[in-house]
Amino acid sequence: MSQAASNLVHTVSGTGTSADDPSSAPTRIAISGAGKKYGELQVFKDINLTFGNGEIVTVVGPSGCGKTTLLRCIDGLIPLSEGEVKIEGSPINGPREGVAMVFQHFGLFPWKTVYQNVAYGLKLARHPAAEIKEKVPYFINLVGLSGFETAFPYQLSGGMQQRCGLARALAMEPHVLLMDEPFAAVDAQTREILQFELLKIWELRPLTMVFVTHSIEEAVLMGHRVVVLKGRPSGVHEVIDVDLPAPRDRGTLGHPRFTEVREHVWSTLMDEVRAAEFEV
Amino acid sequence: MTQPVANTAVPQPGPLYRLQQKFASTSVAAKIVAGLLILVAWELGVTFFAPKFVARPTNIIAVFPDVITEPEFIEATLSTLFAVLQGLLIALVSGTIIGIAMGRVKVFDRLLNVYINGFYTMPMIAVLPLLTIWFGYEDSARLATIVFAAFFSIAINARDGARSVPPEYLEVARAYRARQRDVWFDITFMSSLPYLVAGFRLAAGRALVGAVIAEFFVSLPGLGMYILSHTRSFAHNEAVVGVLMLAAFGLLFEATMNGVMRRFFPWYRREDRKD
Repeated sequence: MSQAASNLVHTVSGTGTSADDPSSAPTRIAISGAGKKYGELQVFKDINLTFGNGEIVTVVGPSGCGKTTLLRCIDGLIPLSEGEVKIEGSPINGPREGVAMVFQHFGLFPWKTVYQNVAYGLKLARHPAAEIKEKVPYFINLVGLSGFETAFPYQLSGGMQQRCGLARALAMEPHVLLMDEPFAAVDAQTREILQFELLKIWELRPLTMVFVTHSIEEAVLMGHRVVVLKGRPSGVHEVIDVDLPAPRDRGTLGHPRFTEVREHVWSTLMDEVRAAEFEV
Repeated sequence: MTQPVANTAVPQPGPLYRLQQKFASTSVAAKIVAGLLILVAWELGVTFFAPKFVARPTNIIAVFPDVITEPEFIEATLSTLFAVLQGLLIALVSGTIIGIAMGRVKVFDRLLNVYINGFYTMPMIAVLPLLTIWFGYEDSARLATIVFAAFFSIAINARDGARSVPPEYLEVARAYRARQRDVWFDITFMSSLPYLVAGFRLAAGRALVGAVIAEFFVSLPGLGMYILSHTRSFAHNEAVVGVLMLAAFGLLFEATMNGVMRRFFPWYRREDRKD
Protein backbone atom coordinates (compact mmCIF):
# COMPACT_ATOMS: atom_id res chain seq x y z
CA MET A 1 0.00 0.00 0.00
CA SER A 2 1.56 3.27 -1.08
CA GLN A 3 1.63 5.77 1.72
CA ALA A 4 3.11 8.66 -0.22
CA ALA A 5 -0.03 10.74 0.04
CA SER A 6 0.00 14.25 1.39
CA ASN A 7 -0.02 14.94 5.11
CA LEU A 8 -3.76 15.47 5.21
CA VAL A 9 -4.21 11.78 4.64
CA HIS A 10 -3.62 9.33 7.37
CA THR A 11 -4.28 5.67 7.43
CA VAL A 12 -6.18 4.25 10.30
CA SER A 13 -5.23 0.93 11.73
CA GLY A 14 -6.61 -0.89 14.70
CA THR A 15 -8.60 1.03 17.26
CA GLY A 16 -7.16 4.40 18.20
CA THR A 17 -9.05 6.61 15.79
CA SER A 18 -10.37 9.30 18.06
CA ALA A 19 -6.95 10.32 19.34
CA ASP A 20 -6.01 12.13 16.17
CA ASP A 21 -9.49 13.48 15.48
CA PRO A 22 -8.86 17.17 14.83
CA SER A 23 -12.42 18.23 15.56
CA SER A 24 -11.94 16.82 19.09
CA ALA A 25 -15.69 17.12 19.56
CA PRO A 26 -17.33 14.71 21.99
CA THR A 27 -17.90 11.33 20.43
CA ARG A 28 -21.41 10.79 19.13
CA ILE A 29 -21.01 7.40 17.50
CA ALA A 30 -18.39 4.78 18.30
CA ILE A 31 -17.99 1.66 16.19
CA SER A 32 -15.63 -0.96 17.52
CA GLY A 33 -14.59 -4.24 15.98
CA ALA A 34 -17.66 -4.22 13.75
CA GLY A 35 -18.11 -7.12 11.32
CA LYS A 36 -21.02 -8.46 9.33
CA LYS A 37 -21.48 -11.93 7.92
CA TYR A 38 -24.22 -13.25 5.71
CA GLY A 39 -23.79 -16.98 6.16
CA GLU A 40 -20.30 -17.70 4.89
CA LEU A 41 -19.90 -14.32 3.26
CA GLN A 42 -18.02 -11.81 5.36
CA VAL A 43 -19.09 -8.39 4.08
CA PHE A 44 -16.88 -6.24 6.28
CA LYS A 45 -14.82 -6.84 9.37
CA ASP A 46 -12.90 -5.15 12.13
CA ILE A 47 -14.25 -1.68 11.51
CA ASN A 48 -13.35 0.88 14.15
CA LEU A 49 -14.60 4.41 13.72
CA THR A 50 -15.72 7.30 15.86
CA PHE A 51 -17.87 10.15 14.71
CA GLY A 52 -17.82 13.47 16.54
CA ASN A 53 -20.62 15.78 17.46
CA GLY A 54 -21.89 17.76 14.48
CA GLU A 55 -19.48 16.12 12.09
CA ILE A 56 -20.22 15.09 8.52
CA VAL A 57 -18.50 11.84 7.67
CA THR A 58 -18.89 10.36 4.22
CA VAL A 59 -18.34 6.71 3.46
CA VAL A 60 -17.21 5.64 -0.01
CA GLY A 61 -16.26 2.30 -1.42
CA PRO A 62 -16.82 0.10 -4.43
CA SER A 63 -20.29 -1.35 -4.87
CA GLY A 64 -20.82 -4.39 -2.74
CA CYS A 65 -18.32 -3.28 -0.12
CA GLY A 66 -21.04 -3.13 2.53
CA LYS A 67 -21.24 0.61 3.09
CA THR A 68 -25.03 0.56 3.07
CA THR A 69 -25.01 -2.52 5.29
CA LEU A 70 -22.74 -0.70 7.74
CA LEU A 71 -25.16 2.23 7.81
CA ARG A 72 -28.08 -0.10 8.53
CA CYS A 73 -26.07 -1.63 11.35
CA ILE A 74 -25.45 1.83 12.80
CA ASP A 75 -29.19 2.46 12.71
CA GLY A 76 -29.86 -0.94 14.26
CA LEU A 77 -32.02 -2.09 11.36
CA ILE A 78 -29.81 -5.16 11.06
CA PRO A 79 -27.57 -6.62 13.74
CA LEU A 80 -23.81 -6.77 13.53
CA SER A 81 -22.18 -10.20 13.54
CA GLU A 82 -19.21 -8.98 15.53
CA GLY A 83 -18.35 -5.90 17.53
CA GLU A 84 -20.70 -3.14 18.52
CA VAL A 85 -21.99 0.30 17.72
CA LYS A 86 -22.49 2.78 20.52
CA ILE A 87 -24.43 5.97 20.06
CA GLU A 88 -24.13 8.50 22.86
CA GLY A 89 -22.58 5.77 24.94
CA SER A 90 -25.31 3.18 24.71
CA PRO A 91 -25.02 0.10 22.50
CA ILE A 92 -27.40 -0.17 19.54
CA ASN A 93 -29.71 -3.13 19.20
CA GLY A 94 -32.50 -1.56 17.21
CA PRO A 95 -33.57 1.80 15.83
CA ARG A 96 -33.53 4.37 18.61
CA GLU A 97 -34.62 7.88 19.33
CA GLY A 98 -32.33 10.65 18.16
CA VAL A 99 -31.19 8.79 15.06
CA ALA A 100 -32.97 9.21 11.73
CA MET A 101 -32.34 7.73 8.33
CA VAL A 102 -32.82 8.95 4.79
CA PHE A 103 -33.14 6.21 2.18
CA GLN A 104 -31.94 5.88 -1.37
CA HIS A 105 -35.40 4.59 -2.30
CA PHE A 106 -36.99 7.61 -0.54
CA GLY A 107 -39.33 5.24 1.31
CA LEU A 108 -42.30 7.57 1.07
CA PHE A 109 -45.72 6.03 1.53
CA PRO A 110 -47.77 6.59 -1.64
CA TRP A 111 -51.04 6.77 0.33
CA LYS A 112 -49.80 9.66 2.45
CA THR A 113 -49.50 13.28 1.43
CA VAL A 114 -46.26 15.21 1.85
CA TYR A 115 -47.60 16.51 5.16
CA GLN A 116 -48.57 13.05 6.40
CA ASN A 117 -45.25 11.54 5.30
CA VAL A 118 -43.28 14.23 7.12
CA ALA A 119 -45.45 13.78 10.21
CA TYR A 120 -45.01 9.98 10.13
CA GLY A 121 -42.16 9.66 12.61
CA LEU A 122 -43.55 12.29 14.97
CA LYS A 123 -46.93 10.54 15.05
CA LEU A 124 -45.35 7.17 15.76
CA ALA A 125 -43.32 8.74 18.57
CA ARG A 126 -46.62 10.09 19.95
CA HIS A 127 -45.67 13.74 19.89
CA PRO A 128 -48.55 16.01 20.93
CA ALA A 129 -50.80 17.09 18.05
CA ALA A 130 -50.06 20.78 18.61
CA GLU A 131 -46.34 20.14 18.35
CA ILE A 132 -46.76 18.14 15.13
CA LYS A 133 -48.86 20.92 13.67
CA GLU A 134 -46.11 23.38 14.38
CA LYS A 135 -43.10 21.32 13.39
CA VAL A 136 -44.27 19.68 10.16
CA PRO A 137 -44.81 22.93 8.22
CA TYR A 138 -41.49 24.23 9.51
CA PHE A 139 -39.55 21.27 8.14
CA ILE A 140 -41.54 21.19 4.92
CA ASN A 141 -40.53 24.80 4.47
CA LEU A 142 -36.92 24.07 5.41
CA VAL A 143 -36.54 21.59 2.56
CA GLY A 144 -38.34 23.91 0.14
CA LEU A 145 -41.59 21.97 -0.24
CA SER A 146 -43.98 24.69 0.95
CA GLY A 147 -47.14 24.63 -1.10
CA PHE A 148 -46.90 20.87 -1.68
CA GLU A 149 -48.26 19.79 1.70
CA THR A 150 -51.30 18.07 0.22
CA ALA A 151 -49.49 16.54 -2.77
CA PHE A 152 -49.07 12.78 -2.97
CA PRO A 153 -45.64 11.31 -3.79
CA TYR A 154 -46.73 10.32 -7.31
CA GLN A 155 -47.24 14.02 -8.03
CA LEU A 156 -43.64 14.88 -7.08
CA SER A 157 -40.38 14.62 -9.00
CA GLY A 158 -37.61 12.41 -7.62
CA GLY A 159 -35.81 15.40 -6.15
CA MET A 160 -38.96 16.61 -4.41
CA GLN A 161 -39.63 13.13 -3.08
CA GLN A 162 -36.22 13.04 -1.48
CA ARG A 163 -36.76 16.52 -0.03
CA CYS A 164 -39.83 15.03 1.59
CA GLY A 165 -37.81 12.06 2.85
CA LEU A 166 -35.26 14.48 4.30
CA ALA A 167 -37.96 16.56 5.99
CA ARG A 168 -39.40 13.41 7.54
CA ALA A 169 -36.00 12.57 9.03
CA LEU A 170 -35.20 16.14 10.14
CA ALA A 171 -38.61 16.51 11.78
CA MET A 172 -37.50 13.94 14.34
CA GLU A 173 -34.85 16.49 15.33
CA PRO A 174 -32.21 13.78 15.46
CA HIS A 175 -28.67 14.14 16.76
CA VAL A 176 -27.55 11.68 14.14
CA LEU A 177 -28.67 11.65 10.52
CA LEU A 178 -27.86 8.56 8.49
CA MET A 179 -27.91 9.15 4.76
CA ASP A 180 -28.01 6.05 2.55
CA GLU A 181 -26.98 7.21 -0.92
CA PRO A 182 -29.76 9.76 -0.65
CA PHE A 183 -29.21 11.40 -4.04
CA ALA A 184 -28.29 8.32 -6.06
CA ALA A 185 -31.77 8.01 -7.58
CA VAL A 186 -32.01 11.70 -8.46
CA ASP A 187 -30.92 13.24 -11.77
CA ALA A 188 -27.52 14.92 -11.94
CA GLN A 189 -28.59 18.57 -11.84
CA THR A 190 -31.10 18.05 -9.06
CA ARG A 191 -28.45 16.13 -7.19
CA GLU A 192 -26.11 19.13 -7.18
CA ILE A 193 -28.88 21.42 -5.99
CA LEU A 194 -29.80 19.03 -3.19
CA GLN A 195 -26.18 18.65 -2.10
CA PHE A 196 -25.77 22.37 -1.55
CA GLU A 197 -29.16 22.70 0.07
CA LEU A 198 -28.31 19.90 2.46
CA LEU A 199 -25.08 21.69 3.36
CA LYS A 200 -27.05 24.87 4.02
CA ILE A 201 -29.51 23.01 6.22
CA TRP A 202 -26.57 21.51 8.09
CA GLU A 203 -25.15 25.02 8.66
CA LEU A 204 -28.49 25.94 10.22
CA ARG A 205 -28.84 22.77 12.26
CA PRO A 206 -25.44 21.08 12.64
CA LEU A 207 -25.85 17.43 13.48
CA THR A 208 -23.74 14.33 13.12
CA MET A 209 -24.21 13.01 9.63
CA VAL A 210 -23.03 9.71 8.25
CA PHE A 211 -23.36 9.96 4.51
CA VAL A 212 -22.91 6.87 2.37
CA THR A 213 -22.33 7.49 -1.32
CA HIS A 214 -20.66 5.93 -4.30
CA SER A 215 -19.84 9.33 -5.75
CA ILE A 216 -16.29 10.32 -4.82
CA GLU A 217 -17.02 13.92 -5.73
CA GLU A 218 -20.03 13.98 -3.43
CA ALA A 219 -18.05 12.34 -0.64
CA VAL A 220 -15.29 14.95 -0.78
CA LEU A 221 -17.68 17.87 -1.19
CA MET A 222 -19.91 16.93 1.73
CA GLY A 223 -17.55 15.25 4.15
CA HIS A 224 -15.39 16.73 6.87
CA ARG A 225 -13.84 13.31 6.79
CA VAL A 226 -14.04 10.66 4.11
CA VAL A 227 -13.95 7.02 5.14
CA VAL A 228 -12.72 4.77 2.34
CA LEU A 229 -13.83 1.15 2.58
CA LYS A 230 -11.85 -1.36 0.58
CA GLY A 231 -10.90 -5.02 0.40
CA ARG A 232 -12.64 -8.39 0.57
CA PRO A 233 -14.03 -8.54 3.20
CA SER A 234 -13.88 -4.79 3.31
CA GLY A 235 -12.40 -2.74 6.07
CA VAL A 236 -11.47 0.87 6.67
CA HIS A 237 -8.64 1.55 4.24
CA GLU A 238 -8.22 5.22 4.97
CA VAL A 239 -9.85 8.08 6.82
CA ILE A 240 -9.14 11.33 5.04
CA ASP A 241 -9.53 14.74 6.64
CA VAL A 242 -10.98 17.12 4.11
CA ASP A 243 -9.71 20.47 5.31
CA LEU A 244 -11.70 22.59 2.91
CA PRO A 245 -12.95 26.00 4.02
CA ALA A 246 -16.44 26.21 5.46
CA PRO A 247 -19.07 26.88 4.35
CA ARG A 248 -18.87 24.49 1.45
CA ASP A 249 -20.58 25.81 -1.65
CA ARG A 250 -20.16 25.76 -5.42
CA GLY A 251 -16.80 27.50 -5.01
CA THR A 252 -15.54 24.45 -3.12
CA LEU A 253 -15.68 22.44 -6.33
CA GLY A 254 -13.03 24.73 -7.86
CA HIS A 255 -10.74 24.62 -4.82
CA PRO A 256 -7.35 23.04 -5.62
CA ARG A 257 -7.53 21.05 -2.40
CA PHE A 258 -10.87 19.60 -3.47
CA THR A 259 -9.33 18.29 -6.68
CA GLU A 260 -6.34 16.97 -4.78
CA VAL A 261 -8.42 14.96 -2.31
CA ARG A 262 -10.81 13.75 -4.99
CA GLU A 263 -7.93 12.47 -7.11
CA HIS A 264 -6.40 10.79 -4.12
CA VAL A 265 -9.60 8.94 -3.25
CA TRP A 266 -10.10 8.06 -6.87
CA SER A 267 -6.67 6.51 -7.26
CA THR A 268 -7.15 4.63 -4.01
CA LEU A 269 -10.38 3.13 -5.17
CA MET A 270 -9.74 2.67 -8.86
CA ASP A 271 -8.24 -0.81 -8.77
CA GLU A 272 -10.95 -2.04 -6.49
CA VAL A 273 -13.72 -0.49 -8.58
CA ARG A 274 -12.32 -2.13 -11.70
CA ALA A 275 -12.18 -5.47 -9.95
CA ALA A 276 -15.73 -5.11 -8.65
CA GLU A 277 -17.03 -4.22 -12.09
CA PHE A 278 -15.83 -7.43 -13.67
CA GLU A 279 -16.79 -9.66 -10.81
CA VAL A 280 -20.13 -11.38 -11.08
CA MET B 1 -29.68 -2.31 -53.43
CA THR B 2 -32.87 -1.79 -51.54
CA GLN B 3 -32.83 0.76 -48.80
CA PRO B 4 -32.74 -0.97 -45.42
CA VAL B 5 -34.45 2.10 -43.98
CA ALA B 6 -37.68 1.17 -45.70
CA ASN B 7 -38.01 -1.94 -43.53
CA THR B 8 -37.80 -0.08 -40.27
CA ALA B 9 -40.46 2.50 -41.16
CA VAL B 10 -43.49 2.50 -38.93
CA PRO B 11 -46.47 1.02 -40.83
CA GLN B 12 -49.09 3.66 -41.48
CA PRO B 13 -52.53 2.79 -40.09
CA GLY B 14 -55.10 2.18 -42.82
CA PRO B 15 -58.23 4.29 -43.31
CA LEU B 16 -60.42 1.66 -41.62
CA TYR B 17 -58.22 1.80 -38.54
CA ARG B 18 -58.43 5.58 -38.46
CA LEU B 19 -62.22 5.48 -38.76
CA GLN B 20 -62.31 3.00 -35.89
CA GLN B 21 -60.15 5.25 -33.74
CA LYS B 22 -62.31 8.25 -34.48
CA PHE B 23 -65.46 6.34 -33.67
CA ALA B 24 -64.04 4.92 -30.45
CA SER B 25 -62.92 8.34 -29.24
CA THR B 26 -66.41 9.84 -29.38
CA SER B 27 -67.33 7.44 -26.62
CA VAL B 28 -70.83 8.39 -25.49
CA ALA B 29 -72.28 8.79 -28.96
CA ALA B 30 -70.59 5.57 -30.06
CA LYS B 31 -72.05 3.67 -27.12
CA ILE B 32 -75.57 4.92 -27.84
CA VAL B 33 -75.32 4.07 -31.53
CA ALA B 34 -74.01 0.59 -30.76
CA GLY B 35 -76.80 0.04 -28.24
CA LEU B 36 -79.49 1.13 -30.69
CA LEU B 37 -78.08 -1.12 -33.39
CA ILE B 38 -78.20 -4.11 -31.05
CA LEU B 39 -81.80 -3.30 -30.09
CA VAL B 40 -82.89 -2.93 -33.72
CA ALA B 41 -81.23 -6.22 -34.66
CA TRP B 42 -82.90 -7.91 -31.69
CA GLU B 43 -86.31 -6.49 -32.54
CA LEU B 44 -86.05 -7.51 -36.20
CA GLY B 45 -84.62 -10.91 -35.38
CA VAL B 46 -87.46 -11.76 -33.00
CA THR B 47 -90.12 -10.36 -35.36
CA PHE B 48 -89.04 -12.52 -38.28
CA PHE B 49 -87.50 -15.63 -36.81
CA ALA B 50 -88.72 -16.27 -33.24
CA PRO B 51 -91.93 -17.46 -31.56
CA LYS B 52 -94.29 -14.81 -30.21
CA PHE B 53 -93.40 -15.23 -26.53
CA VAL B 54 -89.75 -14.27 -26.99
CA ALA B 55 -89.01 -10.89 -25.40
CA ARG B 56 -88.34 -7.99 -27.72
CA PRO B 57 -87.20 -4.40 -27.00
CA THR B 58 -90.47 -2.64 -27.82
CA ASN B 59 -92.45 -4.95 -25.53
CA ILE B 60 -89.87 -4.65 -22.77
CA ILE B 61 -90.05 -0.87 -22.94
CA ALA B 62 -93.85 -1.11 -22.83
CA VAL B 63 -93.91 -3.20 -19.63
CA PHE B 64 -90.94 -1.43 -18.02
CA PRO B 65 -92.85 1.31 -16.09
CA ASP B 66 -95.37 -1.17 -14.75
CA VAL B 67 -92.77 -3.68 -13.66
CA ILE B 68 -90.49 -1.30 -11.79
CA THR B 69 -93.40 0.17 -9.82
CA GLU B 70 -94.89 -3.22 -9.06
CA PRO B 71 -94.55 -4.00 -5.31
CA GLU B 72 -93.51 -7.59 -6.00
CA PHE B 73 -90.65 -6.42 -8.20
CA ILE B 74 -89.48 -3.73 -5.78
CA GLU B 75 -89.52 -6.21 -2.95
CA ALA B 76 -87.58 -8.73 -5.02
CA THR B 77 -84.99 -6.12 -5.99
CA LEU B 78 -84.46 -4.91 -2.44
CA SER B 79 -84.33 -8.45 -1.12
CA THR B 80 -81.56 -9.46 -3.53
CA LEU B 81 -79.69 -6.18 -3.13
CA PHE B 82 -79.61 -6.35 0.66
CA ALA B 83 -78.64 -10.01 0.69
CA VAL B 84 -75.74 -9.30 -1.69
CA LEU B 85 -74.56 -6.28 0.30
CA GLN B 86 -74.80 -8.14 3.57
CA GLY B 87 -72.96 -11.15 2.20
CA LEU B 88 -70.28 -9.00 0.61
CA LEU B 89 -69.72 -7.14 3.85
CA ILE B 90 -69.28 -10.37 5.79
CA ALA B 91 -66.97 -11.78 3.11
CA LEU B 92 -65.00 -8.53 2.89
CA VAL B 93 -64.29 -8.29 6.60
CA SER B 94 -63.54 -11.97 7.18
CA GLY B 95 -61.72 -12.43 3.87
CA THR B 96 -59.50 -9.42 4.43
CA ILE B 97 -58.57 -10.42 7.96
CA ILE B 98 -57.88 -14.05 7.09
CA GLY B 99 -56.14 -13.17 3.82
CA ILE B 100 -53.82 -10.60 5.39
CA ALA B 101 -53.08 -12.96 8.26
CA MET B 102 -52.16 -15.64 5.73
CA GLY B 103 -49.97 -13.19 3.85
CA ARG B 104 -48.03 -12.04 6.90
CA VAL B 105 -48.03 -15.08 9.20
CA LYS B 106 -46.44 -18.19 7.71
CA VAL B 107 -48.32 -20.64 9.90
CA PHE B 108 -51.74 -19.47 8.71
CA ASP B 109 -50.59 -19.66 5.14
CA ARG B 110 -49.31 -23.23 5.52
CA LEU B 111 -52.54 -24.27 7.22
CA LEU B 112 -55.08 -22.63 4.98
CA ASN B 113 -53.62 -21.98 1.55
CA VAL B 114 -54.52 -25.32 0.01
CA TYR B 115 -58.12 -25.12 1.20
CA ILE B 116 -58.66 -21.51 0.23
CA ASN B 117 -57.35 -22.14 -3.26
CA GLY B 118 -59.30 -25.38 -3.56
CA PHE B 119 -62.59 -23.81 -2.57
CA TYR B 120 -61.92 -20.82 -4.80
CA THR B 121 -61.67 -22.93 -7.92
CA MET B 122 -64.57 -25.18 -6.96
CA PRO B 123 -67.90 -24.15 -8.54
CA MET B 124 -70.06 -22.74 -5.75
CA ILE B 125 -73.20 -24.28 -7.22
CA ALA B 126 -71.83 -27.66 -6.11
CA VAL B 127 -72.24 -26.82 -2.44
CA LEU B 128 -75.61 -25.13 -2.82
CA PRO B 129 -77.72 -28.30 -2.24
CA LEU B 130 -75.77 -28.91 0.95
CA LEU B 131 -76.13 -25.33 2.10
CA THR B 132 -79.90 -25.47 1.59
CA ILE B 133 -80.13 -28.49 3.86
CA TRP B 134 -77.77 -27.05 6.46
CA PHE B 135 -79.31 -23.59 6.53
CA GLY B 136 -82.87 -24.51 5.56
CA TYR B 137 -84.90 -23.20 2.63
CA GLU B 138 -84.71 -19.61 3.75
CA ASP B 139 -82.73 -16.37 3.61
CA SER B 140 -79.76 -17.75 5.50
CA ALA B 141 -79.05 -20.34 2.79
CA ARG B 142 -78.85 -17.54 0.22
CA LEU B 143 -76.63 -15.46 2.50
CA ALA B 144 -74.34 -18.44 3.05
CA THR B 145 -74.08 -18.98 -0.71
CA ILE B 146 -73.20 -15.32 -1.27
CA VAL B 147 -70.55 -15.35 1.44
CA PHE B 148 -69.18 -18.62 0.11
CA ALA B 149 -69.04 -17.18 -3.42
CA ALA B 150 -67.37 -13.93 -2.39
CA PHE B 151 -65.07 -14.93 0.46
CA PHE B 152 -62.36 -16.82 -1.39
CA SER B 153 -61.52 -14.28 -4.04
CA ILE B 154 -61.25 -11.62 -1.35
CA ALA B 155 -59.08 -13.80 0.89
CA ILE B 156 -56.77 -14.86 -1.95
CA ASN B 157 -56.23 -11.31 -3.12
CA ALA B 158 -55.72 -10.02 0.41
CA ARG B 159 -53.10 -12.71 0.94
CA ASP B 160 -51.27 -11.80 -2.26
CA GLY B 161 -51.44 -8.13 -1.35
CA ALA B 162 -50.05 -8.70 2.13
CA ARG B 163 -47.24 -10.83 0.73
CA SER B 164 -46.23 -8.19 -1.77
CA VAL B 165 -45.77 -5.30 0.65
CA PRO B 166 -42.57 -3.67 -0.62
CA PRO B 167 -39.76 -4.38 1.87
CA GLU B 168 -38.79 -0.69 1.68
CA TYR B 169 -42.02 0.29 3.41
CA LEU B 170 -41.40 -2.20 6.19
CA GLU B 171 -37.83 -0.95 6.54
CA VAL B 172 -38.97 2.66 6.87
CA ALA B 173 -41.61 1.64 9.40
CA ARG B 174 -38.94 -0.13 11.43
CA ALA B 175 -36.48 2.75 11.17
CA TYR B 176 -39.16 5.07 12.55
CA ARG B 177 -39.91 2.55 15.27
CA ALA B 178 -43.44 1.66 14.24
CA ARG B 179 -45.27 -0.71 16.54
CA GLN B 180 -46.59 -3.98 15.15
CA ARG B 181 -50.11 -2.58 15.18
CA ASP B 182 -49.08 0.40 13.07
CA VAL B 183 -47.37 -1.87 10.58
CA TRP B 184 -50.52 -3.99 10.17
CA PHE B 185 -53.07 -1.25 9.85
CA ASP B 186 -51.06 1.43 8.12
CA ILE B 187 -48.41 -0.29 6.03
CA THR B 188 -49.69 -3.78 5.29
CA PHE B 189 -53.33 -2.85 4.84
CA MET B 190 -52.74 0.31 2.82
CA SER B 191 -50.17 -1.20 0.52
CA SER B 192 -52.46 -4.24 -0.04
CA LEU B 193 -55.31 -1.97 -1.03
CA PRO B 194 -54.96 -2.35 -4.80
CA TYR B 195 -55.15 -6.13 -4.33
CA LEU B 196 -58.12 -5.82 -1.99
CA VAL B 197 -59.98 -3.71 -4.51
CA ALA B 198 -59.29 -6.22 -7.28
CA GLY B 199 -60.49 -9.07 -5.05
CA PHE B 200 -63.59 -7.15 -4.02
CA ARG B 201 -64.53 -6.41 -7.65
CA LEU B 202 -64.24 -10.09 -8.47
CA ALA B 203 -66.19 -11.02 -5.35
CA ALA B 204 -69.05 -8.67 -6.17
CA GLY B 205 -69.69 -10.42 -9.48
CA ARG B 206 -69.49 -13.83 -7.88
CA ALA B 207 -71.79 -12.74 -5.05
CA LEU B 208 -74.45 -11.66 -7.50
CA VAL B 209 -74.25 -14.99 -9.29
CA GLY B 210 -74.46 -16.75 -5.93
CA ALA B 211 -77.55 -14.79 -4.93
CA VAL B 212 -79.43 -15.52 -8.16
CA ILE B 213 -78.58 -19.22 -8.13
CA ALA B 214 -79.60 -19.53 -4.49
CA GLU B 215 -82.91 -17.88 -5.28
CA PHE B 216 -83.50 -20.32 -8.15
CA PHE B 217 -82.91 -23.19 -5.76
CA VAL B 218 -84.49 -21.98 -2.60
CA SER B 219 -87.39 -20.01 -4.13
CA LEU B 220 -86.73 -16.87 -2.14
CA PRO B 221 -88.57 -13.71 -3.12
CA GLY B 222 -85.62 -12.14 -4.94
CA LEU B 223 -84.77 -11.09 -8.47
CA GLY B 224 -83.60 -14.58 -9.37
CA MET B 225 -86.92 -16.02 -8.33
CA TYR B 226 -88.75 -13.19 -10.08
CA ILE B 227 -86.93 -13.97 -13.32
CA LEU B 228 -87.51 -17.69 -12.97
CA SER B 229 -91.23 -17.52 -12.23
CA HIS B 230 -91.95 -14.98 -14.96
CA THR B 231 -89.99 -17.01 -17.45
CA ARG B 232 -91.99 -20.12 -16.59
CA SER B 233 -95.27 -18.26 -16.92
CA PHE B 234 -94.18 -16.89 -20.29
CA ALA B 235 -94.02 -13.28 -19.10
CA HIS B 236 -90.64 -12.97 -20.75
CA ASN B 237 -90.65 -9.19 -21.15
CA GLU B 238 -91.05 -8.83 -17.38
CA ALA B 239 -88.29 -11.39 -16.80
CA VAL B 240 -85.92 -9.34 -18.97
CA VAL B 241 -86.59 -6.26 -16.82
CA GLY B 242 -85.38 -8.37 -13.88
CA VAL B 243 -82.26 -9.30 -15.81
CA LEU B 244 -81.65 -5.65 -16.66
CA MET B 245 -81.96 -4.79 -12.99
CA LEU B 246 -79.17 -7.26 -12.20
CA ALA B 247 -77.02 -5.64 -14.88
CA ALA B 248 -77.78 -2.27 -13.30
CA PHE B 249 -76.46 -3.63 -9.98
CA GLY B 250 -73.15 -4.29 -11.67
CA LEU B 251 -72.95 -0.81 -13.14
CA LEU B 252 -74.00 0.75 -9.86
CA PHE B 253 -71.33 -1.21 -8.04
CA GLU B 254 -68.61 -0.08 -10.44
CA ALA B 255 -69.71 3.55 -10.21
CA THR B 256 -69.80 3.41 -6.41
CA MET B 257 -66.38 1.79 -6.24
CA ASN B 258 -64.87 4.39 -8.56
CA GLY B 259 -66.44 7.20 -6.55
CA VAL B 260 -65.22 5.80 -3.24
CA MET B 261 -61.70 5.27 -4.58
CA ARG B 262 -61.48 8.77 -6.01
CA ARG B 263 -62.82 10.33 -2.85
CA PHE B 264 -60.93 8.36 -0.21
CA PHE B 265 -57.91 6.92 -2.03
CA PRO B 266 -56.89 9.56 -4.57
CA TRP B 267 -53.38 8.13 -4.79
CA TYR B 268 -54.67 4.76 -5.96
CA ARG B 269 -53.63 3.76 -9.49
CA ARG B 270 -51.72 6.97 -9.88
CA GLU B 271 -48.33 5.53 -9.03
CA ASP B 272 -47.71 4.12 -12.48
CA ARG B 273 -48.90 7.23 -14.25
CA LYS B 274 -45.66 9.05 -13.53
CA ASP B 275 -43.26 9.42 -16.46
